[in-house]
Amino acid sequence: MKVKLWRCVFTASMSAAMLLGLAACGGSDDAESSDGIKTFTMFTAMPGTEINDDNEIMNIIAEKTGAKLKETWLTGQTDAEAIGTIIAGGEYPDFINGGDAMMSLYDAGVLVPWDDYLEKYPNLKELYTDEEWDSFRQDDGKIYWANVFQNTYGENRSTTHNDQAFWIQARVLEWAGYPEIKTLDQYFDLLESYADANPTMANGTKNIPYTALCEDWRYFCIENAPQFLDGYPNDGSVIVDTDTMQVVDYNTTPTAKRYFQKLNEEYQKGYVDVEFATQTYDEYIAKLSTGAVLGMCDQWWNFAYNVNDVFKQQGLDEQGCNYVPLGLTIDEGMENRWHNYADTLNNSSGVAVTTSCSDIDAAFKFMNDLLDQEIHDLRYWGVEGEDYLVDENGLYYRTEEMRMQCADPAYQASHMCNYSYMPQWLGTSRDGKNAMQPDQQASEFLDSLSTPLQKLFDAYGVDSYVDLIGSVEEEPGPWFPMYSYSGSMTTETPGGVAWVKMGEVKHEWLPKVVMAPDFESAWNEYMTAYNAANPQDFLAEMQTELERRAGL
Amino acid sequence: MKNPVKRITWREIAHQKFLMVCAAFFVIYGIVFYYVPLAGWVMAFQNYKPKDGLFGSQFVGWEKFKFLFSDEVFLRVIRNTLAMGVLNLVATFLMAIIFAILLNEVRNVFGKKIVQTVSYLPHFLSWIIVTGILHDALSSTGIINELLVKFGIMDKPINFFANPSYFWPIVAFANVWKETGWNAIVYLAAITSIDPNLYEAATLDGAGRWGKIWHVTLPSLKPTIMILLIMNIGNVLNAGFEVQYLLGNGLVKSVSETIDIYTLTWGISQNDYSLGTAAGIFKSVVAIILIFGANWIAKRSGENRLF
Amino acid sequence: MKNNSSVTNKVFVVCNVVFLTLFVVITLYPVLNTVALSFNDGIDAIRGGIHLWPRVFSLSNYQTVLNQQNIITGAIISVARTVIGTLLALVTNALLAYIVSRKRFLFRSQLSLFWIITMYVNGGMIPTLILYRSLNLTNSFWVYVIPGMISAFNVLIMRTYMEGLPNALEESAMIDGANDFTIFTRIISPLCKPVYATVALFVAVGQWNSWFDAMLYNRMNAQYTTLQYELMKLLSSVMQQSGSATTGGNTASAAVTPVTVRAAATIVTMLPIILLYPFLQRYFVSGMTIGSVKE
Repeated sequence: MKVKLWRCVFTASMSAAMLLGLAACGGSDDAESSDGIKTFTMFTAMPGTEINDDNEIMNIIAEKTGAKLKETWLTGQTDAEAIGTIIAGGEYPDFINGGDAMMSLYDAGVLVPWDDYLEKYPNLKELYTDEEWDSFRQDDGKIYWANVFQNTYGENRSTTHNDQAFWIQARVLEWAGYPEIKTLDQYFDLLESYADANPTMANGTKNIPYTALCEDWRYFCIENAPQFLDGYPNDGSVIVDTDTMQVVDYNTTPTAKRYFQKLNEEYQKGYVDVEFATQTYDEYIAKLSTGAVLGMCDQWWNFAYNVNDVFKQQGLDEQGCNYVPLGLTIDEGMENRWHNYADTLNNSSGVAVTTSCSDIDAAFKFMNDLLDQEIHDLRYWGVEGEDYLVDENGLYYRTEEMRMQCADPAYQASHMCNYSYMPQWLGTSRDGKNAMQPDQQASEFLDSLSTPLQKLFDAYGVDSYVDLIGSVEEEPGPWFPMYSYSGSMTTETPGGVAWVKMGEVKHEWLPKVVMAPDFESAWNEYMTAYNAANPQDFLAEMQTELERRAGL
Repeated sequence: MKNPVKRITWREIAHQKFLMVCAAFFVIYGIVFYYVPLAGWVMAFQNYKPKDGLFGSQFVGWEKFKFLFSDEVFLRVIRNTLAMGVLNLVATFLMAIIFAILLNEVRNVFGKKIVQTVSYLPHFLSWIIVTGILHDALSSTGIINELLVKFGIMDKPINFFANPSYFWPIVAFANVWKETGWNAIVYLAAITSIDPNLYEAATLDGAGRWGKIWHVTLPSLKPTIMILLIMNIGNVLNAGFEVQYLLGNGLVKSVSETIDIYTLTWGISQNDYSLGTAAGIFKSVVAIILIFGANWIAKRSGENRLF
Repeated sequence: MKNNSSVTNKVFVVCNVVFLTLFVVITLYPVLNTVALSFNDGIDAIRGGIHLWPRVFSLSNYQTVLNQQNIITGAIISVARTVIGTLLALVTNALLAYIVSRKRFLFRSQLSLFWIITMYVNGGMIPTLILYRSLNLTNSFWVYVIPGMISAFNVLIMRTYMEGLPNALEESAMIDGANDFTIFTRIISPLCKPVYATVALFVAVGQWNSWFDAMLYNRMNAQYTTLQYELMKLLSSVMQQSGSATTGGNTASAAVTPVTVRAAATIVTMLPIILLYPFLQRYFVSGMTIGSVKE
């Protein structure tokens, strides 16, 4: 018995050691392989998908540019934590995108300034105007990173409303004969009358007129509507009153009170989902996926991808269950700014080159090459003939089969190579016809609409969600968006402390206020708790930042 | 105690060479891997910034602790943590012991193996899966409400997650559900060391099933129970964050927030490492006080003790 | 009297069977539910309402899991760390437990206290990282098995078990002049199989399941990645995909979603443990093996 046991242990250790030896031999990375292709490393403090080492388009790009990129993504940490541990560990990749923690990297002195390379590499320079580049300058006057998103080349091509709105199902509008819905009251009147006339769906599922997600950070679904209802854009944490150049707290405006009072009234009447306050995100998505929820307030990206997939699979899209956005305001005749036409330049985060990079010039050259139209098309459209076709007018399009293939994760990992956190363009391609990225190609968009949506678009005479919501087309001021500042506040200032406390209070009280049998007293209690969090400290710091940004 | 402990003689010490050498190794190992990193506690007294490192960050004294203890939310959070910690401890402890003993009473070896194999499986499910199922079961259309309404116990479904008074029991139940089988493994191993002669003797004395459980099994498990109990008493402030975070919502915030959630809200999301460290030190100090206390009580009452 | 006791006996058995059956049902449910989800189409699963059987059968979740890059390397490293880590931990923890179970050992209680404290204190992520880096443990395999080798919890469980052993044999060995090493390897250890099996299970499961250390200390070293870290990466990437536009196109769907991929990853993780368990289980289910010692 004893001999047997020891033999087992011995064998096990030997085999483990051998496996280990094997594994250790498996990989040893060289920055430059025999064929002269450089491999850069990159860490992005956002979750993402690793592409395979033998990815096809990655290799095509490598042949054309002489370099490839090995990306690593955030897993199980926050961006600040990840960057904090990387700094403490002292080992850096060649490229880094630190999310909201870029300042820590700058403070640690490990980033390479871009200034000299911008002159050398025109594609990079072209990304932003001089004023925009200036906004990236740190206190030593140099540029250390560039945001890669929300950057439009040529004409804006957005078709979806990738922002917040009060959404309503196409079937409700169709039933009512496509009325103009402009105010919060009209919206709920319509939901009520539809639900009264149609208590259930065709399959017998009970309709839920309205729900609101309150889970964790996603509670913006219930929280931030007052700023939009007052006709302001999504500054996120405050309203900026452009007449007086003052920040205004949208949580305490008369509109906020009217909005929550309306929700309370609808809740008491039984038109608001009884589980709105306790549902999890998964439950919310599952609920929307049944097609039974007539309306809600949400960001498009928070629900649409999952829910639309299910609708399509279940044939609910043909029953008019898809959601369309309404640009509601609190009163009739106000402008709405739900849709943001301009690029939102978040200059607090972006891609940077680190001092650990062995060939810094090559790193900048690589980023420059990635913006060449040919490479850009490879990154986002793929290989012509395989991933997209070109029609007689030079327009790119995908067959249904190609669309399916390009959405398959295995295909993406082995074939597609977005380099999605490297500099990139939205908007119109340099050929003046196509969109830089397939999801902005108008023909691709219209082809994919269900019949009820096409009828609805015809009835309102629009051809995109953006037209439908009818927001004012304007460039917000240079301070926009204010949330980029509140997001970077820390507990070192009283404003930062107040900001967290305000969030905690709202998180607890907003659902309570909606559910309260006596709205007035609940609202007063909420206001007492809210004021105890010292919102004035927060607002004062926001005001200072606003004045700094506006150059006052 | 029957045998008064004799003084350890020099001769014995000389014989303990092997033990001494090994002990020295374990002490060095422990110092390197467990005690040296405690230098990081200095972070609690600093405004730690990654760029300045442990030695260059600004020293702020007790400021982080003052921040914690001047916040009334933190005091409420301590209450929640303690309450859930104690409730979880009692519930999971009792269930694991009861389960182990009852399983041991099963005579059918096959059945016994099946039950045991199934019982520890939920341990491997992540909290997000377990809480997802729990959320489903307790929703207004879930199985629990369906049963309550069907049997006329309630006339309409209860929204379990909207009422703060259900929250702690739900968390305790979730812990029991996930960990009972796993926790019972230790007791099952301990039961194997019980001398069968003791059972025979008890049978001769006319003891029934209950009698044997009460007079043989339980007393034999006592050392294991005591040791685990004392160790876990030190852990009551580690009531966790995942399960509370996943089951909680705004309506039950006042009872669901634990110290760990608080630390996450303030420390991690605000990039304040120092505050998290301060909360960690507080938890450590409380834990050590608690185990010293528990150990002292055990010593006084002549039970097995930790040290 | 006798009649009475056999009636209570029967009642006991019935209650016990009912209780354990109920227990099995409610603990088996989440596992079966996870299995069902793992075999269900991802998009369909978003609707919820799947219980014990998949509604739209699909293997794509398992395909996604097994297609994850480095999954083989990861599995090899995970097996290696589990085997080596468990052996190392078993030997060292048992030895430490033996030392602190010696009632006559001079520093017995000091050494116990020294280790008990380690259960309740830790220096935090960053100081630990700095330490490992200065010991050259980062970017290596050894960071998985060396630092966490000794767990006071396991040591105390072993110690308690050892203290409960009858000490007749040991005393006679002492008289024969056996030294501590011999007593530990020849007399104590063979009796401790149930508790060794328990601790081996705890350590092996811990090693097999851990992924955070791989991420923290071997982030950029694909050759030291572990299975669990690869699965975590996959999961976080699926979660990110399902909430963003990066998949491109408005119509096509990926058919894998976090819920179902998580279920598949969970099953893949659990399988080896389920297979390993019966081998260890005999040590703690058989029972009553120790009586002969005393004779």
